[in-house]
Amino acid sequence: MRAAVLLGIVALALGGCASHVASIRKVPDQTPAADNAAAAANAAAFAEAAAAESGNDSAHEAHEARETHDASPLLTPADAPPMYTYDPWERLNRFTYRFNARFDEAIFLPVADTYRRAPRPMRAGVHNFFGNLTEVDSIINYTLQWRLKYGLRSLERLAINSTIGIGGLFDVATKLKLPGTPTGFATTLAKWGMHPGPYLVIPLLGPSTLRDGVGYLADYGVGYGINIANLYRGNVSWGLLVANGTDQRANIDFRYYSGGSPFEYETIRFLYVRRRLIEDEGLHTKEPVKKSEDEIPAGK
Amino acid sequence: MASLPAKVPLSEINIELPWRLPLPGILWFDSKLRVWFSAQDRPAPLAIVISGTGSDGNTKTISVLRAALYGAGYHVLTMPSPTFPGFIVSASRTGVAGDLMQDGSDLYGAMQEIIAHLPRKVRVTDIDVLGYSLGGANAAIVKSIDATEHKLKIHRVVMINPPVSLFSSVGRLDRLFAATIGPGDRAVELLYRRLYAQLANLYRASDRLELDENFLYSAAAVTLKTDAEFSAAIAMTFRLQLVDMFFIGDLYAKTGVITDPAHPPKVGDSLEDIQRDLRAKPFADYFTRVFAPYYLMRRPDATSASLIAANRLDIITDTLRDDGDYYAQTSGNDLIINQRELAWLQDTLGSRIIVYDHGGHLGEVGDRQQVADMLDMLSGHWPRSAP
Repeated sequence: MRAAVLLGIVALALGGCASHVASIRKVPDQTPAADNAAAAANAAAFAEAAAAESGNDSAHEAHEARETHDASPLLTPADAPPMYTYDPWERLNRFTYRFNARFDEAIFLPVADTYRRAPRPMRAGVHNFFGNLTEVDSIINYTLQWRLKYGLRSLERLAINSTIGIGGLFDVATKLKLPGTPTGFATTLAKWGMHPGPYLVIPLLGPSTLRDGVGYLADYGVGYGINIANLYRGNVSWGLLVANGTDQRANIDFRYYSGGSPFEYETIRFLYVRRRLIEDEGLHTKEPVKKSEDEIPAGK
Repeated sequence: MASLPAKVPLSEINIELPWRLPLPGILWFDSKLRVWFSAQDRPAPLAIVISGTGSDGNTKTISVLRAALYGAGYHVLTMPSPTFPGFIVSASRTGVAGDLMQDGSDLYGAMQEIIAHLPRKVRVTDIDVLGYSLGGANAAIVKSIDATEHKLKIHRVVMINPPVSLFSSVGRLDRLFAATIGPGDRAVELLYRRLYAQLANLYRASDRLELDENFLYSAAAVTLKTDAEFSAAIAMTFRLQLVDMFFIGDLYAKTGVITDPAHPPKVGDSLEDIQRDLRAKPFADYFTRVFAPYYLMRRPDATSASLIAANRLDIITDTLRDDGDYYAQTSGNDLIINQRELAWLQDTLGSRIIVYDHGGHLGEVGDRQQVADMLDMLSGHWPRSAP
């Protein structure tokens, strides 16, 4: 099985090769008309939050409307973490980052490109199937986070998509206005108040923090422990892992070093950690996650 | 907004150029030039689009222009700015970006190599070049080089919001930075803290479960409400692009401003402190400490003043005035040119320039009128005769 998977990867990777001087890589078609419509819809959906932010008072009111029992103070610039990021394993992380970039260029991306040529309904089926499997993890974690509304939604999604959606191949639940909002142990740990810890670049997966890395491991552990239909421990588990990775990569619009910048490692680290910290703020709306102290780099 | 095609096919071309300088280890990822190509399935004219300062060949503005051009029946090739780090490393013959003629000649060479490597089934009937912002000036220079070398036989050029004097334009951006953000890295940190708090508050108010790209775009629209905030964003974006150009230029020219030429940074070294130092440095520093020393050493007759003069669009005044195939679109309130420069453009190009009364820098790109005018200019139906 493993040999077959490896052979498959090599074959897919070789699918897009050309001369070493110039190589041409087909990327997904652009859809300007549809993009424009989507952008307009997104802007409209955001109008409410825009109104909320138009002044501190009205933003405050928006909060009170949502959390009537306990208004949350707004963050001030002094609450922002410093620009430096806590990265004690920088040398190893940089090495891993470079490995990831090269692996992506040589194997991951060509495989994903080839995969994208498969018919859209088939890819959607694969994507939905893996999405459905993660609902189990989401149910557990929303419960642990005590966000039962979302946990119930995940449960409904799992029930509907596994049955009417034929084992998860069709995302019927989203059409019934139950959109998927996966969560995992990384978010649970954050909700429980754990700081992100040191920045960590995980082989193949990419930017993370110690906390998020532990979370991902726990997510996988749950899948492995429950082992639905023997998918995680049986003979097909390797193939599924590769298929899942390919599906994920094909759906992520990121290209290593597309900005050509020598400082990409710094920039990605900065953005990743700030994004996670802001998401943490969203989990703790009652008060800022932590008052900043200039000496302590973000994440520590 | 002009009507847009439902689908635009797109390919990425990665090409190794024979004249590339030896690759510094820490820039290993920039060995090939990356451009984007959208092919028609029948013989068609080729429109080459050059990006603005520091940008790659696949920006939002490029996507808008690509959609309009492809929809009008052109093959579309989009290229990074010669000030884009990936271009400097893979395609520059000097490593020190920002010289109009040198950058133009690097671009011109790269275009020839790319066109020679296009898929054989692509049939090109004619070549036009467009560019926005600095890319507009690059486009004009490329055509003027082609007028003597005849290797591509470029037909028409449309400059969209071009600068006239490169260094006075960036000087304006330096002043904008000082006025809206403040001096030094401390000011950058304050700006960041303000943005962080705003974003976090917006996010907390928004009920979203994940901070995704859609959220960021919408948040940007909310955060950049006033002219001052918008100006700060423009100045900051420009400064971050300058950081890359400054670092690479200093590394190649061995001017020792930020990296020790005897001990350049190695793969695995942290570059955070370098990035921090460079964020505080204006373009003027790049000019006096990297650009001028490099070019003055190689051009014995040059002076600082002559280097500045060589980076003005008026080095090709006669061509712009006499050759009817150069066109321009700009707006009366574009912050990268002043009234005198605008008047010079109008005087030189005559009826071949259109000046919109609003839009600022690139604000009108993608508007129905701008697209219609651009396509008429490219097809030689400009100026439109009165109905």
